[in-house]
Amino acid sequence: MYIIKNALRCIGRSKGRNILIGIIVLVIAISACIGLSIRQAAESAKMSALEGMGVTATISYDRASAMGNISGGRPGKDSSGFQSGQFDPSQFEDIFKQSSSLTLEEYLKYAESETVEDFYYTITAYLNGSEYFLPVSNESEEDSSSSSNSSFPGGFPGGMGGMGLKISGDFSIIGYSNDSAMKEFVNDNASIVDGSMFEEGTSELICVISEELAMYNNVVVGDSIIVQNPSLNTEAYTLTISGIFTSNDNNDFSMSMFGVSQDPANRIYMSANALQTILDASFTNKEDTKIEGNISATYCFSDTSAYYSFEKEVRKLGLDDSYKVSSSDITAFENSLAPLTTLSKMAGWFLLVILIIGGVILVVLNIFNVRERKYEVGVLTAMGMKKWKVATQFVCEILVITMIAVVIGSSIGAVSSVPVTNVLLEGQVENQNNKQNQINQNFGRPGNMGSGFTGSMPPDLPSDISGSKNPFENMFGGAADYITEVNSAMNITVVLQMIGVGLLLTLIASAASVLFIMRYDPLKILANRD
Amino acid sequence: MALLSLKNICFSYEKTLVLKDISYDFEKGKMYCIVGKSGAGKTTLLSLLSGLAKPTEGEIIYDGKNIDKIDKYTFRSKFIGVVFQSFNLITKYTALENVILSMDVSGVKIKDKKKKAFELLESVGLDEDEANRRVLKLSGGQQQRVAIARAISYNPDIILADEPTGNLDRETQIEIMEIFRELADQGKCVILVSHSHEVASMCDEKYELIKISGKKKKNSK
Repeated sequence: MYIIKNALRCIGRSKGRNILIGIIVLVIAISACIGLSIRQAAESAKMSALEGMGVTATISYDRASAMGNISGGRPGKDSSGFQSGQFDPSQFEDIFKQSSSLTLEEYLKYAESETVEDFYYTITAYLNGSEYFLPVSNESEEDSSSSSNSSFPGGFPGGMGGMGLKISGDFSIIGYSNDSAMKEFVNDNASIVDGSMFEEGTSELICVISEELAMYNNVVVGDSIIVQNPSLNTEAYTLTISGIFTSNDNNDFSMSMFGVSQDPANRIYMSANALQTILDASFTNKEDTKIEGNISATYCFSDTSAYYSFEKEVRKLGLDDSYKVSSSDITAFENSLAPLTTLSKMAGWFLLVILIIGGVILVVLNIFNVRERKYEVGVLTAMGMKKWKVATQFVCEILVITMIAVVIGSSIGAVSSVPVTNVLLEGQVENQNNKQNQINQNFGRPGNMGSGFTGSMPPDLPSDISGSKNPFENMFGGAADYITEVNSAMNITVVLQMIGVGLLLTLIASAASVLFIMRYDPLKILANRD
Repeated sequence: MALLSLKNICFSYEKTLVLKDISYDFEKGKMYCIVGKSGAGKTTLLSLLSGLAKPTEGEIIYDGKNIDKIDKYTFRSKFIGVVFQSFNLITKYTALENVILSMDVSGVKIKDKKKKAFELLESVGLDEDEANRRVLKLSGGQQQRVAIARAISYNPDIILADEPTGNLDRETQIEIMEIFRELADQGKCVILVSHSHEVASMCDEKYELIKISGKKKKNSK
């Protein structure tokens, strides 16, 4: 007890030196607090948003991984003797063959996982029109009636499903497993203007068509339309129109370059069961000319932990390594955090540098301090005070000064961390935007298509972070949304970390003092003084 | 029976023999003086007696025990009180704080340390105002008194004092010597180290240290 009392007395009796040490620790504490707050803000922004965010995921063929395996992905000869840049065509074809999507049975098997909150899927098939039912097209009627037969052998990455899917046909027939799969309608991007939606899960050949398509073909609710197998004109199916919808996507013709079927106006929606009926019938007719259906399944999770558990679980259930489980929601959010994450990394390095420099200064100051007080150490030990007790007194002095400085520094840091973080973050966002804009300019595009992030801000942002859209909206639908502001940075974690910083500084600063004290011989000190 | 005994003590400092074959006995209630010229090893002997240094040969017996067997910090803080030549007070503390600190370090249970410290300082001739003054602001004589008060604050059996009257005027010397006499009369073993034969003449017994080439003599008063 008297050690603490003496320590406090000594602090009061050597104000000048202790104020100097205090100021140095204060500067370190303010810097550390801001640095830690930035890191904490980034972490909590990520965690709180991800925790509250519903996640959707898909399972798709990992094409990039498969391509990398062809020739080892590195210059030089591979095991099969091919030079870099030379692909073995047979290997390449193998990849395309293998890169089909999973079967519906497989998707359903993985959907039984307890982590899955909701599951839905769509089946997409491409069918031709008939004499009395034509697709909406910019081409002349003559050209149009001859049926488009565009092919996009490379297929569409990601959501467009399997590799090498031929897009030949006038219409995209999309079958939905249930209502929640119909994102356009759920997200208010489409609505029925006449009639009604087909029953969920029905196997009857009932469909809804776009308003444009209905007007173009002069058909109304209740009419029947005939669609045909593009590979076999004699194979026709009669669908009954139960509703007509309007969609906000109707003005987007960007995909029509790949064929009229990609025009949103030429989409026909029906139940997945109904479409499956058509696919089954087509297969029964003739296997060579069967209508191909591409399945795209979506798994919904209540939070990110469920998503990560699902990934592990499906591997256990037998999902091959050539397939990957991915979530565009998580990727989008991680991209939105890019400026904050960069800032967080910079703050980490800044914190390390400050701690090293501050620690060195404190060590030097304390070596001077203990040498200056050598006589005091000699007297105390000559009186019979054990060296470890003298050392404890010195450590207590440093601890008290450090903790007072850390408390003041944390208070100043807490007040200034939010504005400082936001100013730094603004700079980071601006850098990211400039970088993106530069890339777009290099491509001769006005917006920010292409590289990296093209997602959108997750819908449920926590209250302590804000996002804003990149001003360079992109005609292809992608816009970089970054977190541009944090409203709170300091929390109990930062407080605990600051206590840790205080203890670390005390440890560093007092280590030298303790070593000196333990080495001192009271007789020599007092004899030299005499 | 001797409270403290030196038995055939030798001490060398960097190959230089400073003390050779010293055997002294010190009893309770007596005042001893170790005299000798400069370089005779008086302060070295005091360092050995206070446990700050270890003899090269021989042993020091305190209350029947070799002090090697006693923790040297415990020995210094509880059983022996040292008044150093240059007082060795903590200069940033007040006289009172110096005395209380020695009580704290000893670990001896004292009810009201502050009151006891005031009483001790008063007994060596310092008033309350002087007791609350930082030691640097006290005169040499006053600092000597603080050092004595500090040495006796935890009631040790042995009081050691190195040149206790060295820089003091004659009147103060007499007062300081009276304090030591009083302590000896109270049953303490008081050992003074001095080059002054006048101080030695005021003690009960005197040991004279002579340089190593000569002979050590023991004279009774």
